[in-house]
Amino acid sequence: MTETAPDLDRLRGGAPPRNHDARTIAALTANPGCARRGVMDAAGVDKDAVARELGFPSPFGQSQFAITRGNAFEAQVKADGCAELLTLLRDGLGLAVPEVAYDDLEVVAGNEGRELRHARTRRLLARALESGEGTLFDHPLLRLEIAGQLAYLEPDVIAFQLAGRLHVIEIKSFAVVDGQAEPEQVAAAARQSAVYVLALRRLVSELGHDPARVSHEVFLVCPENFSNRPVAAPLDVRPQLAVLERQLARLTRIDRILDALPGDLTFGPGAALADAVRTVEARYAPECMAGCEMAFFCRDEARACGATGALGRSVRDDLGGVDTIGTALALADGSLDPSDDLAETAAQLRTAARLRDEALAAVRAETLAGAPTPEARGARDGAA
Amino acid sequence: MPRSPGLPTPDALEARIAELRAAVRRAAAAGDRRSARDLRADLRLAERQWDDAVLGAEDGTGEPVRDDDDDDGERDEGGDRPQPARDEAPGRERGARAGTKAGRGLLPVREQVHQALTLLGAPAAPKLVGSVYAAFFPGEIAASRLTSLRRDEERSFRTAPYARPYYLCAALTADLLAPARGLLTVSTWPLERRIVGPLSPRTDFLTAAVRLAEHAGRAAPTPDVQRLLWRFASNIPGAVTGTVGTVEPADLAAAARAELDVHREPDRRGRASAAGRARARLDDAERLFGSRLRALNTSTRRRATTGETDR
Amino acid sequence: MSALTSLAQLRAAVDGIAQPLATVRHCHVAEAPLVLVPLKLAGEAAAPLAVLVGAARDDASLLVVPQPRNRDLRFQFAAEFAKLVLNHIETSRGGVEELPPGKDGDERIRYGDAPQLLVPNRGGVGFLRLLGRSTRFRSTEGPYAVDPAVPVLGRWLTWFADRYDHPGSSLLRAMTEVLRLHWATGQSSLEDGNLAALLGWIDPPDGLDGPAAAARAEDPVTCPPAGPATDPTFDNEVLAPAIAAYDRSGGDHRAEERLRGAIAGQLEPTWELMWRAVGLLRALPEGASVPGRWERDRDAFTYYHQTFGEAYPQARRDPPVRAARRLHDLERAQDAYDAQRAFDDPLVMAEYRLAGQAFGGVVTDCEPDRLDETGKRPKLRPHLRVGTADPVRLDVGTTVCNAARPALKGKIVELAAGSVLLELTGGMGRKLTAEPGSVPRPGERVCFTSLSEGSFGAAKFPDREDTPWTHGGPPEEYVPTDEDAEEEWS
Repeated sequence: MTETAPDLDRLRGGAPPRNHDARTIAALTANPGCARRGVMDAAGVDKDAVARELGFPSPFGQSQFAITRGNAFEAQVKADGCAELLTLLRDGLGLAVPEVAYDDLEVVAGNEGRELRHARTRRLLARALESGEGTLFDHPLLRLEIAGQLAYLEPDVIAFQLAGRLHVIEIKSFAVVDGQAEPEQVAAAARQSAVYVLALRRLVSELGHDPARVSHEVFLVCPENFSNRPVAAPLDVRPQLAVLERQLARLTRIDRILDALPGDLTFGPGAALADAVRTVEARYAPECMAGCEMAFFCRDEARACGATGALGRSVRDDLGGVDTIGTALALADGSLDPSDDLAETAAQLRTAARLRDEALAAVRAETLAGAPTPEARGARDGAA
Repeated sequence: MPRSPGLPTPDALEARIAELRAAVRRAAAAGDRRSARDLRADLRLAERQWDDAVLGAEDGTGEPVRDDDDDDGERDEGGDRPQPARDEAPGRERGARAGTKAGRGLLPVREQVHQALTLLGAPAAPKLVGSVYAAFFPGEIAASRLTSLRRDEERSFRTAPYARPYYLCAALTADLLAPARGLLTVSTWPLERRIVGPLSPRTDFLTAAVRLAEHAGRAAPTPDVQRLLWRFASNIPGAVTGTVGTVEPADLAAAARAELDVHREPDRRGRASAAGRARARLDDAERLFGSRLRALNTSTRRRATTGETDR
Repeated sequence: MSALTSLAQLRAAVDGIAQPLATVRHCHVAEAPLVLVPLKLAGEAAAPLAVLVGAARDDASLLVVPQPRNRDLRFQFAAEFAKLVLNHIETSRGGVEELPPGKDGDERIRYGDAPQLLVPNRGGVGFLRLLGRSTRFRSTEGPYAVDPAVPVLGRWLTWFADRYDHPGSSLLRAMTEVLRLHWATGQSSLEDGNLAALLGWIDPPDGLDGPAAAARAEDPVTCPPAGPATDPTFDNEVLAPAIAAYDRSGGDHRAEERLRGAIAGQLEPTWELMWRAVGLLRALPEGASVPGRWERDRDAFTYYHQTFGEAYPQARRDPPVRAARRLHDLERAQDAYDAQRAFDDPLVMAEYRLAGQAFGGVVTDCEPDRLDETGKRPKLRPHLRVGTADPVRLDVGTTVCNAARPALKGKIVELAAGSVLLELTGGMGRKLTAEPGSVPRPGERVCFTSLSEGSFGAAKFPDREDTPWTHGGPPEEYVPTDEDAEEEWS
C-alpha cells in the first residue's frame, strides 16, 4: 500500500504531509471527480499554502467570537465530570445511573503524543468492548487510511458506550430552535461524524470485533433555543457513511492518476507552481468554494477558459453538458454545427435563443410604440 | 489637552485608521503575522490619537484602552487562528462586581482557593473553585491568577519542601499517576482523595454537592448560592423538588447521597489501589504534583505516516 | 432554472453585464419601504450586533449592541428596534377601504397600504425570524421584564417571516432574491448571494464591467458583507478589540462611539446598495398582477393588525391541521404566482414555450363564425390555426388560453408539424357571433398556454377539534406558558 508513497512525497516538494481532520476528510467526498484535489489531498499537500503562493489565498478564517462560543459551550457540557451530558443521556437514552465512568484520552500523563494517545485509545476501547467497562471516552485519537496513508484524527467528540455499543457524541454550538437547526450546519456535522464513526469502526475491527458495534446513530449535543442549555438529538449518518466509504475506496486508486502525470511533478513553491497545478485537471464547481482551499484558483482558471461549470452545475446540466460558454453560444446562434450527440442540445439551445430574442424584441417594440402602460395591460383581464 | 502642532487632524486620523484596519485584516487573512502585529500596534496608536483629538481625554479612561496591546501579543503567539479570549464575556454579575476591587484583595489567591477547596472537599476545576468562592465568600478569585497557581506551588515546594502548611497541587490520574488536567487539590488531603479514576469525576461532583448543600442549609441561601446549587441539582436525579431554578438544600444533599451510594465503593477501590502504587513508586514531589512521561516527548514531533509501525 | 435562464447567464458572462430575465417588475415596491441591514454576533443563534434601519435613503438609524453577550443591552436594543419597526408599521396603513360584507354578513375592511420590509439577503430574513422567535414570548412583568414593545416586535417579525414564505408576497423580501428574479449574471447562484457582487453585474460602477465590479465586491475589506454574518477578519481585528475596550471602560462613551463608528463602516456600503437596488426595481414597469398580489398582502396585514390584540403569540410549532393547511396554501400560491408572472411577462412565458406548455406564432387560418351544431343548441366554436416553431408538448383535447387575454379559451383539436389547430370555447361573448376583436385574425401574433391561474381549488381540512388521531388528535389550545416567557436568552 505504500508503493505510491515516494511519488506523493515528491509532490509535496519535501514538505511534511498535512494532517487530515474530519473536516478535510469529509470534504474529500464533496467533489470526487476532481483529479487535482484527489492528488493533492492524497499526497497531503498543504493546499492553503499552495493557494496563497499562487496569489489566491483561501478565505476560511474563523471569527474569534464563534471559536470562543464553541469552546465555552463544550467546556460547559463537559464540566464537573460531564454532569450536563450525563443528565442528557440519562433523560434521553435511559442511561443507567451506575454508568458514569469518564476517561480523558486527550493527554496521556501530560504527554500529547499521537502514538501514545492512539495506543491508549485502543487499549481502553478494547477493554470496553471485551468487558463493557467504561462509559464516556473523551477525545479519542483515531486513525484512518487515506489513499494509502494513515491519517490521525483528533475528533472533538466523546465515544460513548451503551450496552456494548459505541456511539459518537458530537458537541456543536449552533442552536437548535424549537427542534430545528440550520440544515447546512447539521449536514456538515453529519459528514464529520460519519468520518469518526468510520474510523471507530475500523479500530473496532482491528481489535477483532464486529464493526457494527459502532452505531451509525450519532448524538449531536447543541444549545437549545437561545439559551446555553444543552439538548441532544440523534442523527443517522448512514448516508454520509456510504458516500464516505465509496470516496475513500476511490481515493486509494490515486496511483492511476499519478501514472498519467509527469514523473518530476511537484507542488513545492516556485515559479513553476502554477503550471504544475494546472497539469492536474480540476473539476471546478461553485460548491468548491465551501470546502476547498484551491477554489479561488480553480474558479479563475475555469472562468478564463469559459467553462460553463463555473456558472453552476445546474447551468452545465441545462446546457446538456456542453463544457464551454463559447461552444454553447455558437450552438445557440447556429454558427456551429453540432456533432450528432449534441444535436438535441443544439436544437434546444437554438429554440431558447429564438424565444428569448422574440420576447425581448416584442417588449422593445411595445416600448418604442409607447404602448401599454401597466394599467392598460391590467385592463385586458377585465375584457372577459 | 491642547493639541500639539505635530498632531494629525481628526480627518487624517480617520483616514489612517481606515487604512490601517484594512491593512491589518489583509495581513491577517494572508497569514502574515509579523506585519499584522506591527500594523495592529500602529492602529491602536492611531485610535488613541483619534480618541484624544475627537472625544477628548477623560479621567480614568486612559488605562483600559492601553490594555489592547496585551491581547494582541497573545494572539500572535497562538498560531494561524485567532485565539479565543480565555475568559467569557462579562455576564451581568461579573460586570457589576468588576469594580469592587476591595473585595478581591482581602486574601492571597492561594488562600482563597484553599478555602473553596476545603469547602468542596474534592478535586475541582478552577471554574468551579471560582464559583464556589464567589457564592460563599466575600469577593472573588481573579481567574487570571489561577492559571499559574499550580506551577508556582510546585516551584515553591521543590525549592523548600514542606515549608508551607499546605500546597495547592494536582489531582493524579489513577492509571499513570500523572497530573490530571485542570483539577486542583490540597496537599493535606489523603492520597486516596487526590487520585482520580474514571468514576471519580462523578463521585467528586456528588460529594461536592452534598457538602455545599449542607453548608448552604445553615443559612438562607443568597441568589449566588441558589444559582450554584441549581447547577448541581439540575444534574442529579431527584434533586429538584421545587420550582425550576430553586433548590432545597436538604433534598439536594439527600439525592446526591443516594447516587453517591451507587458509585462510592467501586470508586474507592480504584482510588485506594492507585494510592498504594503511588506510595510505593513516587517521591514526595511526584506524589503532590504527579509524575510525567517526559522521556516520551520526542516522539510527539514525528509525523502521521510513521504511526504505521505500531499497527 | 432552464436552458433559457442558462443562456441568459452565458450571454451575461460574455458581455460582462447582467441580462434581463423579466421585462416587467414582478414584485411590489413600496413608496417608502423599511430597509433593514442587520448584523449578528458570530457563533450565536440570534444575538443582534447592530441594525441600520430606515424608510428613506437619507434617514438611517443605527442601533448597536455594544456588548452582544449582555442580556440587558440586547433587550435595550430590541426595545429601540421595536419602536422603529412598530412606528413604521403603524404609519404604513394608509386609509381604510370598506369592502362588501362577507358571507355571514361580517364587516370587512382593507387598509389602503401595508408596510414592506426589505433586507439584503435570505440570511437577513432568517435573522428577523429568529429575532422574532426570541422576543415574542418575553414577559413584560416579573423578574426578567422587558419593554412592552419587545414581544409585540417579536410577533410582528414572526408574522413577516411567515409571509415571506408565501410565494408572491412582497411584505418582506430579500433583495438578492428579488434581483435574481429579474436579472441573470455571469456568475453562479452562490456568488449572486453577495449583494454587492450581484449589483456589480446589474449596475456596475463607472469604469468597471460586471466581472470587475463583482471581483471588487468579493474583497470583504473593500466591500463589507451584507450581513447578518460579519467578516471574520473584521471580527478579529476591529470588532473584538473595540468590544473589549468597551467592556473595560465600563460603558464609556468614547469606547462606544468607536465601536459604533467601526460597525457603521460595515453597514453603510450595504445601505447604499439596498437603495440603489430599490431604484433599479422602481425603474422597471410593474407587472399587471402585482397590484392584485399586493392587495392580498394588504388583506393579510389588515387581518393580522385587526386581530393582534385578541391573539396569542404564534406557537412554537404549528398544530397539524394548521400546518397542512399552510402547506396547501403555499402550494396554491406558488402555482398562481408562477402563472401570473408568465401572463404578465413574455420573457417568463418563453420558459413555458421552451418547455412545451405554451406555444406562440402567427395565426394562419381562422373560422371566426364556426358553429358546433351537434348538440341541442348551436354553440360558437371558432377554429384557429396557429403556425408555430415551438416544441409543443400538449395533447389533443388540452384546454389552453390566450396569454395576452386569458379569458379567451380553447381546446387543441389537431397537432401537426409547425401548426396547432384550436377550437375556441369561451371568452368571445354570449352571442353566436364573436364579439368584435375577440377572435384573433390571420397574421396576428398569438401565444396560447395550458397554464391557468388557480388551477387547483382550495382543499378541505378538518377543524382543529377534528384533527385525526394519525396526527395526534385535537391539539390543546395553545396558551403561552410561563416557561415560554422565562426562556433564557443568554
